[in-house]
Amino acid sequence: MKKFVALLLTAALLLSVVSFASAEGNVLGVMLGTNVMSLDTNLATDGDSFEVIADCIDGLMQMDKDGAAVPAIAESYDLSEDGLTYTFHLRDAKWSNGAAVTANDFVFAWRRIAKEAGEYAYMLDEIGNIKGAAEIISGKTDDLTTLAVSAPDEKTLVVELTVPVSFFPSLMYFPTFYPINEEFYNSLADGTYGTSPETFLSNGAFILESYTPGTANLTVKKNPDYWDADRVKLDGITYQVVGSSDNALTAFRNKTLDVVMISGNQVDAAKKDASLAENLKVTGAGYMWYLSFSQTEKNAQGGMLANANLRLAISNAIDRDNLVDNYVMDGSLATYTAVPPQFAASSTTGEDFSADQGAFADYVGYNPEKAAEYFEAAKAELGKDSFSFTMIYGNNEGDEVQKVAQAIKEDVEAALPGVEINLQSMTKAERLDKMQNDNYDIALTRWGPDYADPMTYLGMWITNNSNNYGFWSNAEYDQLIADCTTGAYITDYDARWAAMFKAEEIVMKEAVIAPLYTKANANLITAGVEGIDFHPVALNRVYKDTTK
Amino acid sequence: MIKYTLKRVGMAVLTLLIITFLLFVLVRIMPGNPFPSERMSAEQIANKRAEMGLDDPILTQFFRYLGNALHGDFGKGTSLYYGAPISTVLSTAISNSFRIGGLAVLWGSLVGLVLGITAALHRGKFLDGFCTVVSILGVCVPSYVFLIFLQYTFAFKIPFFPYFFDSSRFLFSSVIPALSLSLFTTSTIARFTRNEMVEVFDSDYVRLAEAKGMYGRGLVMKHVLRNALIPIVTVLAPLIVDLLTGALVVEKIYGINGIGKLMVDAIAGEGIDYNYVLALGILYSALYIGIMLLVDLLYGVLDPRIRVSSGKKEA
Amino acid sequence: MEKGYIPSKEDFTLLHRQDLYTDTNFASQSYWKSVAMHFFKNRRAVIGLVIILLIILFAAIGPSMNEFGYRDIVQYRNENNKRVVAKGIAPQIPALHKLFTGEELEGNFSQYTFLFGTDDLGRDLWTRTWYGARVSLLIAFVTIIIDMIIGMSYGLVSGYFGGLTDNVMQRFVEIANSVPRLVIVSVLAIFMPKGMGLVIVALLLTEWIGMSKIARAEMLKIKEQEYVLASRTLGAGHGHIIFRQILPNTIGPIITQVMFSIPTAIFTEAFLSFVGVGIALPQCSVGTLIEDGFNNITTLPYQILPPIIVLALLMLGFNFIGDGLREALAPKLEDM
Repeated sequence: MKKFVALLLTAALLLSVVSFASAEGNVLGVMLGTNVMSLDTNLATDGDSFEVIADCIDGLMQMDKDGAAVPAIAESYDLSEDGLTYTFHLRDAKWSNGAAVTANDFVFAWRRIAKEAGEYAYMLDEIGNIKGAAEIISGKTDDLTTLAVSAPDEKTLVVELTVPVSFFPSLMYFPTFYPINEEFYNSLADGTYGTSPETFLSNGAFILESYTPGTANLTVKKNPDYWDADRVKLDGITYQVVGSSDNALTAFRNKTLDVVMISGNQVDAAKKDASLAENLKVTGAGYMWYLSFSQTEKNAQGGMLANANLRLAISNAIDRDNLVDNYVMDGSLATYTAVPPQFAASSTTGEDFSADQGAFADYVGYNPEKAAEYFEAAKAELGKDSFSFTMIYGNNEGDEVQKVAQAIKEDVEAALPGVEINLQSMTKAERLDKMQNDNYDIALTRWGPDYADPMTYLGMWITNNSNNYGFWSNAEYDQLIADCTTGAYITDYDARWAAMFKAEEIVMKEAVIAPLYTKANANLITAGVEGIDFHPVALNRVYKDTTK
Repeated sequence: MIKYTLKRVGMAVLTLLIITFLLFVLVRIMPGNPFPSERMSAEQIANKRAEMGLDDPILTQFFRYLGNALHGDFGKGTSLYYGAPISTVLSTAISNSFRIGGLAVLWGSLVGLVLGITAALHRGKFLDGFCTVVSILGVCVPSYVFLIFLQYTFAFKIPFFPYFFDSSRFLFSSVIPALSLSLFTTSTIARFTRNEMVEVFDSDYVRLAEAKGMYGRGLVMKHVLRNALIPIVTVLAPLIVDLLTGALVVEKIYGINGIGKLMVDAIAGEGIDYNYVLALGILYSALYIGIMLLVDLLYGVLDPRIRVSSGKKEA
Repeated sequence: MEKGYIPSKEDFTLLHRQDLYTDTNFASQSYWKSVAMHFFKNRRAVIGLVIILLIILFAAIGPSMNEFGYRDIVQYRNENNKRVVAKGIAPQIPALHKLFTGEELEGNFSQYTFLFGTDDLGRDLWTRTWYGARVSLLIAFVTIIIDMIIGMSYGLVSGYFGGLTDNVMQRFVEIANSVPRLVIVSVLAIFMPKGMGLVIVALLLTEWIGMSKIARAEMLKIKEQEYVLASRTLGAGHGHIIFRQILPNTIGPIITQVMFSIPTAIFTEAFLSFVGVGIALPQCSVGTLIEDGFNNITTLPYQILPPIIVLALLMLGFNFIGDGLREALAPKLEDM
């Protein structure tokens, strides 16, 4: 019996030794915040899925470490003089089953996106302005050949646009525009593409090694046939979904993972722990949290929030520094502009669109006296002294959200006596549903940039835009935005830039939204791991140059 | 008995149908929608709804769903693991949850029984008090707190067990989650066993057995435990169902792809996933109904005087 | 022929029930008086009662025992006009610190006494724990009532009548138990305001099921015993048999079941509050405090301890009372 127990213990010990080998060697252990929902570019909507897809598939362009678009599968591209026709010249690259990557793979994938008309199909029509996309996506036509994307030969891809889009090449690194091998796709049973390593082809830096939908861990390994294989130093990546910031910290201390994200109190703990402080790296996550105010009659006690002074009063009552310093704590930036900082730089001056956070100090900032003034004006205009609003927030959008919601409640109620904010937690899906059906007073919500241009934010506030949850409308603003997207400024880069700034000023002056903070990620990275490219837009982490 | 069982199985099918219909209607009333999107136009969403047949009359939808389900087709997720057919996603989750839950049931009921019997035999002494405290802590400390304690101690401080679940080394990496899940069961079973046995010890027939010279292990096993088992089986049954269908936080923290997380994600995740809620609801109900049937049959085995099958008049 | 005596009505007097078989000696003390006597003679039961009363007392006065309100964030502005918040402070008692070390406590908030420390927002956990205990005590008592009234009656009736009645009642239980709570509560939330009321309705819907199963099992076991048969033969009514004769004999498992459904209900409330159908922030309950503490369990472990200890004490108290009640309600010969 004793012998048996000893044997059992030895076996167990051996097994446990094997377990620690998994993240060792040249394999990187990386935390994911949520499960990978899909590896199909047509269906994926979350950053984690995009990251894994981009590990395995290269698009026409890729991101360099500063986020600029540089050639990937496209060796080069030409732009016609009118700015409407892009011709991409493809390099020799292979899919992991040996087939060549051809222009037709792109045509097939893009047509599929347009036909299925999923979440990110709008990248084709509204953002990319590809000719013919809008008609297919809205269901007006079934003829996929009307999408103006063609392959005159195997190595040439021609894309026609309806208007010039200055940032079109940078869209090409977004997973929606990645290729899919048509022949391989058609050989699979319906609905199985991208659900296992066998049903997924790679042409990128890594090959999918293990994955099932719903799994909490997946692995990718180096692709020896990658066209740029010499560049890739890692042997593979082990992804692990980690359920809480606290658990992520312990997993990092345990050396189970090399790259984890922490937030809130764990950031404090890591800063205070000398052995961890040097591993801390803050990177921009891109998306901006803001308050959306419903301005329609049926909400907020008969449309009280349609009053700009009341909105300005609330916006000026919130101490954003307090939010980021004391509650979010992961390096997020207090934000006082409608377009968050650090994601859209001018291509002529190189200056960040929102570098000057004090630009609208007259309308937004923490200023209880000014808030009280606005509030007095609002009370006079509305003929009412006390207000009670419900503020909705998502309970599955991170721990800090409920802390931020409570801090906002305390700030607003302290600065504006007579205003009561009732907090209402719900799932993100329900919050969206309420906002889309205009059935809320105030919402704590966020938007992440899909492409590196201020328009990804400013485009939302035009009349009748589906993301204009406040139902705000301003003719001057609509005209400015129209001039920037399809009209007068479209070829004049600097004039467009200036017009967008003017538009932003209108948004701030009327407090259409109350920007709160721009999210950052506090990462812990094992010493010696270098060259992970972090980006606030599109692909949050890229490992092509990573060494361990 | 066989006739009764068949009758019950027939009724179970009917009950399951009613439950499925109820769920089918309720998920459609719930706030939220199956295609939560900030980027699709209303037109696109309407097209998607039409494609899924969500605009048809509810009965048409229901019978179409039943027809497909009978062929083993439970549809695809709309906001959860969209690409893959539900049956493939579920099969992995079920196998993980059932195996971990099964271990927890075994461990929980065994330890619970042993603790309970020990306490009953040492009634009023130190061991009894100890057992009381353990079972009270066991129900007050949520399983996920216990999980963190185990993970922190035995995977981090003393790195013996894997820090996260690893399906390739199933048994070894199931120890921590199974143990933490079993805590509530251990406590409940221990407490019920102890209290029941104490009561049976005091009953007339055990006194009679003692008077006839029976004592020790034989008495405990043959008379006392057997008579105490009825309430124990009754409380254990729903616990088994709960354990087999997993627990959200434990699965989330330990990285287990299981049913508990799937269910909450389907209802309160990115959107309401009708197909997942239904498939998981049917699974849960079938399990519950099945185990309740077993329990009713077991009553008759444990105490031949009990005949659940018969009404009062035939008694 | 001489006629015999013919009895007349006046020869008889009606005897009333209470005149029969009355043990005048025993009857001198009422049933409840004897229960109370047994209960208070039991040391553990009294300790249990004291614990529960203390928790109720602290829940009532605890939140006002210091200067902090349950939603007050302890903070000040530093010289750079930045807000400094007393978040994540471990339990501290400046006076004791000075007494033992002879030095003043250091830190930004060293002048304050935080018996349980502060939470992530900088609120005093002592105040919040006792404030939260109010909600959880309410949940506990509601659960006891639901269990004892709905659950017990449902199970006893189902088990007693058996046959078709049992069949229908048990199928209903299966249906009620099978619809996920989150689904039913979300649907209910369309029709009624979110908050404690909704939580109680949610508990009313399913919380009695476990108890009904236990009561039914006990009924199935006991109803076949001789004394039940005897009562029935003597013509006792169903209500009398179920509630007067069988119920007292099932009280043991029923009390145990009540004990175990309380923490489940308390955690259910916390879950419902988290998903947004229960109490709204910044209000709290013992359950939500445990969930909040869990976020920092390895970095600030003291945050989760007070609510867990309060819950454990609550359970210990209830258990002692339960044990005492059981012994008092069904006294065994040697206890008398």
